[in-house]
Amino acid sequence: MKNRLKKLLSPIAIAAVLLISLLIGIFYFNYMSRHIYNDSTAHLEEIYGQVNRAFGTFVEKNWGVLASWGEYLSLLGNDDPDSVAAYLSQNRDYWGATKFYFVASDGTVMALDGQRYTMDFDGFLDTLMRERQPIVSGESMPDGQEIVIFATPVTSGMYRDFEYDAIAVSYSNDDLAASLRVDAFSGLAKCFVAQSDGRVLFSTQSGGIVFANYLKYLSAASDLSPEAMDKISADWAVGAPGIVECRIGGEKQILLYQGAGYQDLILLSVVPSGVVSAGFLSVQRITLYVLAILFLLISGLVFTPLVVSSHRRSKHDQKELRYREMMFDILSNNVDDIFLMLDGDRRQVEYISPNIERLLGIPVEEARSDVRVMEKCSVGGDAVIPHEVLDSIPLGGSITRENEYMHQTTGERRWYRLTVYRTSIQDVEKIILVLSDRTQERHMNQKLQEALDAARSANEAKSNFLSNMSHDIRTPMNAIVGFSVLLEKDAGKPEKVREYTGKIMASSHHLLSLINDVLDMSKIESGKTSLNVDRFSLPELLSELNIILLPQARAKNQTLTVYIKGAPPENLMGDHLRLNQILINLLSNAIKYTPEGGKIEFTVSEVSQAASQFAKLRFIVKDNGIGMSEEFQKEVFSPFSREVSALTSQIQGTGLGMAITKNLVDLMGGVISLESQLGKGSTFTVELTFALPDEAEADFRARHMIKRMLVADDEEEIGRDIQEIMEGSGVEVVAVTDGKAAVEAARQAQRAGRGFNVILVDWKMPDLDGIEAARLLREAIGQETPIVALTSYDWADIQEDAKKSGVSAFMPKPFFASTFWETIEPLFSDPSGAADQLPDDKVLEGLRFLVAEDNELNAEILSELMDMEGASCEIAANGREVVDKFVSSEPGTYRMILMDVQMPVMNGYEATRAIRASAHPDAGTVPIIAMTANTFAEDVKRALDSGMDGHLGKPIDMDAVKATVGRLLNGRKNAARAEGSE
Amino acid sequence: MKLKKLLPLLLALCLLPAACGKAPADGGATLTVMGKPMDLKKSYMTRVFDRYEQATGVKIVPVPIDDSAFEDTAAKALASGKGPDILMHFHNADLDAFDVEKDFLPLTDQLWVEELTEGARAYCTDARGDLLGLPFWESSVSGCYYNKTVLDSLGLRPASTQAEFNALCAALKEAGMTPLCWPADGCAWMIQFALDPLFADDPENLAAINENKLSYADLPQVADMFTWIDAAYKAGWMGSDSMTTGWDQIGPVMASGDAVMTFIWDTWFYTDFTPGKYSMDDFALMPVFLNTTDAGTYEGGNLNMMMINKNSPNVDTALDFLAFCASPENYNAAFEGISTVSCFVHQTTNIQSHMVTDAQSSLASRERASTASSRIRGYKNDDVVSIVRELFSGMISPQEAVAHLDASRLRQTAPAS
Repeated sequence: MKNRLKKLLSPIAIAAVLLISLLIGIFYFNYMSRHIYNDSTAHLEEIYGQVNRAFGTFVEKNWGVLASWGEYLSLLGNDDPDSVAAYLSQNRDYWGATKFYFVASDGTVMALDGQRYTMDFDGFLDTLMRERQPIVSGESMPDGQEIVIFATPVTSGMYRDFEYDAIAVSYSNDDLAASLRVDAFSGLAKCFVAQSDGRVLFSTQSGGIVFANYLKYLSAASDLSPEAMDKISADWAVGAPGIVECRIGGEKQILLYQGAGYQDLILLSVVPSGVVSAGFLSVQRITLYVLAILFLLISGLVFTPLVVSSHRRSKHDQKELRYREMMFDILSNNVDDIFLMLDGDRRQVEYISPNIERLLGIPVEEARSDVRVMEKCSVGGDAVIPHEVLDSIPLGGSITRENEYMHQTTGERRWYRLTVYRTSIQDVEKIILVLSDRTQERHMNQKLQEALDAARSANEAKSNFLSNMSHDIRTPMNAIVGFSVLLEKDAGKPEKVREYTGKIMASSHHLLSLINDVLDMSKIESGKTSLNVDRFSLPELLSELNIILLPQARAKNQTLTVYIKGAPPENLMGDHLRLNQILINLLSNAIKYTPEGGKIEFTVSEVSQAASQFAKLRFIVKDNGIGMSEEFQKEVFSPFSREVSALTSQIQGTGLGMAITKNLVDLMGGVISLESQLGKGSTFTVELTFALPDEAEADFRARHMIKRMLVADDEEEIGRDIQEIMEGSGVEVVAVTDGKAAVEAARQAQRAGRGFNVILVDWKMPDLDGIEAARLLREAIGQETPIVALTSYDWADIQEDAKKSGVSAFMPKPFFASTFWETIEPLFSDPSGAADQLPDDKVLEGLRFLVAEDNELNAEILSELMDMEGASCEIAANGREVVDKFVSSEPGTYRMILMDVQMPVMNGYEATRAIRASAHPDAGTVPIIAMTANTFAEDVKRALDSGMDGHLGKPIDMDAVKATVGRLLNGRKNAARAEGSE
Repeated sequence: MKLKKLLPLLLALCLLPAACGKAPADGGATLTVMGKPMDLKKSYMTRVFDRYEQATGVKIVPVPIDDSAFEDTAAKALASGKGPDILMHFHNADLDAFDVEKDFLPLTDQLWVEELTEGARAYCTDARGDLLGLPFWESSVSGCYYNKTVLDSLGLRPASTQAEFNALCAALKEAGMTPLCWPADGCAWMIQFALDPLFADDPENLAAINENKLSYADLPQVADMFTWIDAAYKAGWMGSDSMTTGWDQIGPVMASGDAVMTFIWDTWFYTDFTPGKYSMDDFALMPVFLNTTDAGTYEGGNLNMMMINKNSPNVDTALDFLAFCASPENYNAAFEGISTVSCFVHQTTNIQSHMVTDAQSSLASRERASTASSRIRGYKNDDVVSIVRELFSGMISPQEAVAHLDASRLRQTAPAS
């Protein structure tokens, strides 16, 4: 309280002292100004009195001299003009005059050199001639020179035939001015001799006279009022003296005038006020300075001890403050807490710890000038502490909150706990903010929470897994065991035996797929799965999918249509088996969860992207099946997740397929997304990026010389796709949507001489089927043009009928350019060879296999199954035995070798390498197929690397055996044909 | 040579033999006068041609040459000995195309020389002091035209010296007036007026600067001039709008009385001045004061001279014709009603502004031929405008302005690379 009062009183006391000093100063200044003005004007009057007297003396002297010359001239007479001229010249020069003139009564003057002029003597001619009074006047000479004339009447006389009544001398204005100039005012004073009406006769102004009439000038250029001007004019009319201060051109001037005492002339002096009183003002200034110094000295004596004491105290305080601040700065620099102190009222920063720049990336000065810059750091962009919150904190209270802040330079995000104290320091309200870094603590808590969640989740997952596995394994096992018991019981009833074995087989297959999926999932999740990246053909992959999935779709009377959009690259680098797995999972699910007669669309397209050495493909599997609920869509990619509904309960599944798919897509760096609506169907979209193999594109058109092609497919979109694919190949594609239109188009084209080089006919069209269409086409255009049947179906069943109706070859859907060229190439070179391309369901018939299988039971089953297909097997119990048997056999004994991998003595890989390395004539060509329970991609790769040609998973699926054997045999055939054609 | 330039030359050469010294059909002599087409058609020229033909029977044959090829054609004609008897041309740098000594007859000793005004005589005299031709042309006087009504109302009188001019400007400024209208936006003839005394009064300076033996920097008056201009601008004597005042604004500024004086020529009042608050009657003439000469200066107009071909067979007839033209009776008859400053001392029938008439005694001793602009090689008004503007903007000092003026001259005269 005491301090406050002290603080309040001090400014008032100082203000009072200053005010009193100011009033004294003003009073003194006014007094001095008045005094100085009076003194200045008195001084001025004195100076110009002297000038006036000097000029008066000069005038009187000239008139006196002229009078004496006049007397002398009258004595000389007119007889000797030369003597007169000599006398006058001499005296003129003596007195410093410019010229001497004889003046006639009419104002004509003649100089000594005889030159004559006319002068009006400023209107004083009458004074001179009639009143016979001496005069002084100003005159402008013809050459522009301004002169002053002194004239006096003399006794009339004659000089060189010039009759005169007066004589005169002239002085140049400059010469006269120089002799009378007042130097007292730094040469800035002007002196005029003017007539009472203001006309200027003479001026001491340097350079000449520019003022014709000073009263006029004064009236126009000064700030004198008309009344003041009237007063001056009146003074001048009577020759009264006066002194006036006015502004001319913005500068204060003092005008001093008085009558000259002759010819009603006025002597006028004009001096800048500042110049007149300069001396006095200087005294005034000095006096003021002295007083000020005295005042300061006394003040100094009085206040110095107080000031020194206060200064010492302040210095000490400052030092203490600086010391504390420094200490605090050092401390705060080494901790991750930021301190701010704000003024309670204005909320201005009074202190801020320098570590704010390190911790939040805000320069100290920036934060100091406006604390609101911290809002930039707040991740939510909120005020650090809103005003209303600050206001709500009671004095002495505090609040705490935690917020996330972002470093302005590095962008790093950290969590801070902000504690705001509202307090009072020395009766002044302060707000103190402390920001403590809690990032580590928070991360630790977060990790602990995550670990806890993970543990809970893992535990839950484990429980779920065991529960699911228990249920999912027990269910088929229960069926197998149950039906085995029934089989034993009803062994004598063939119908029952067939029924029970069928159900046991179905349960076994389900159990097998469950085990495969679990193992696959387990391997993927443990991170042990790697990708086997190699060059693969997209058309081949899609063909394989077709072969696998089409029968399933047909079994449910579904339509499975494959669309190829744009022209995706046909050869890609990637894991062909994993991609196959992804797409089989999606498509088989679509088939599985789409009711009978449903529609499944599989679309492959290329997504544009920047890098030319990569291709991004989009696979869309769309069905109009049962769809999924929104809740299940969130869980669809989780293991063992299956939607439970009346519809799904009848469908077998492990609940692992989509989880595996998702994991594989992730592994391949792709994305999978899902859109689904319950009861309307689902659409899965997978986007994957593949590297492109480095290969030059062959000019197919140049090779085949095909210019025009007719496509008949009831699906308009497929026709458009083919047109799009063939764009740029130089082949013109005409698409029609039914068989009749195809026949008509082909007929007309041939008639016009623009026949098609090849015709593609969809095998299933609503109006005409492929057989009928091919037959009509042959009738219309003859036998030369190849007709290719385009089909999604296995053409083995229709092969004979197709050949009879005129079909040259079959081609699988979807349409790929490379497949197309491969299909038609033999037709153009050897049209009859097309039939060899057709697949044969009895591919195993008559073949002899060497089989390596250490398990007797498995060997027996295989022998039986092969026997059923018309093939024969020779069993070897291990790798060594198989090698020996092969090496010792006659060439061509074994058409193929089926090789188990895990065998005693020598495993399958070693045995394969030994066979390939042997000298047997068939060592390099005999196909070897791995036959193993190791079905992972790495296992397949390892098998191929060892020299095998294919891979079959156990347990043995005869369809798979036939497909693999058929593929290998066809491949050998093609290779042989290619070799033969070269 | 381009055909466009060649044609007039060929035409002239074809015409000349037919015209030169050949007796006309009626048996009298002829005189050929070569000039630019519009120059030969001036009314006072045709009047004097007619009067001479009537008085003497000598036939005057005008030979017009297109402006663009004039110097080239005339010089070649004179050099080939087929030149005209009389050539009409201005006394400026264009005479460089001719060999003056070989081509033209000096006329200094002709009796009619006394009939010429000082200014006209000075204009027609070359560096050697020879009078090159008879000036028979309309002319004007450039000087400081001031509003005498304003001056009278302020009780001020015109200046007759530089010091008075300074005092006058100061007094006008004190009285709240803008003393001088200085159109710094695109106009620079004021500078050429100021430079005239340095070169017209001293032909050696002119010869030396044209031979690059002298520079503006060697003449202290040039620096004095820029110093004065700079100081006057800073003192506010040129007003605050000088930098934005151009040719179009001079008339309104002077007619309104916004400025009291300007450096211009008398015929400007007939051609470009529209009366406002003040009319032409309110103006009078005093010399230009730009600190290069204490008494100030006027610039006479550019005069077309009639020069006699020294090699003509009709030199006597040509001399007779010039004497005829220079007689008061004939020149007064020729110039009757023509608005021009007199070139002849007894010229009375022309219309001469009261401003020029009133300033006759001042003009007599201060009028100079236009020299800087027309006879200093490389003098370029556009560059001068830039220099003055830079000076006013404070970008350069008066001394640098002198250096820039020299640089401009050297740039203009540098041989094309």
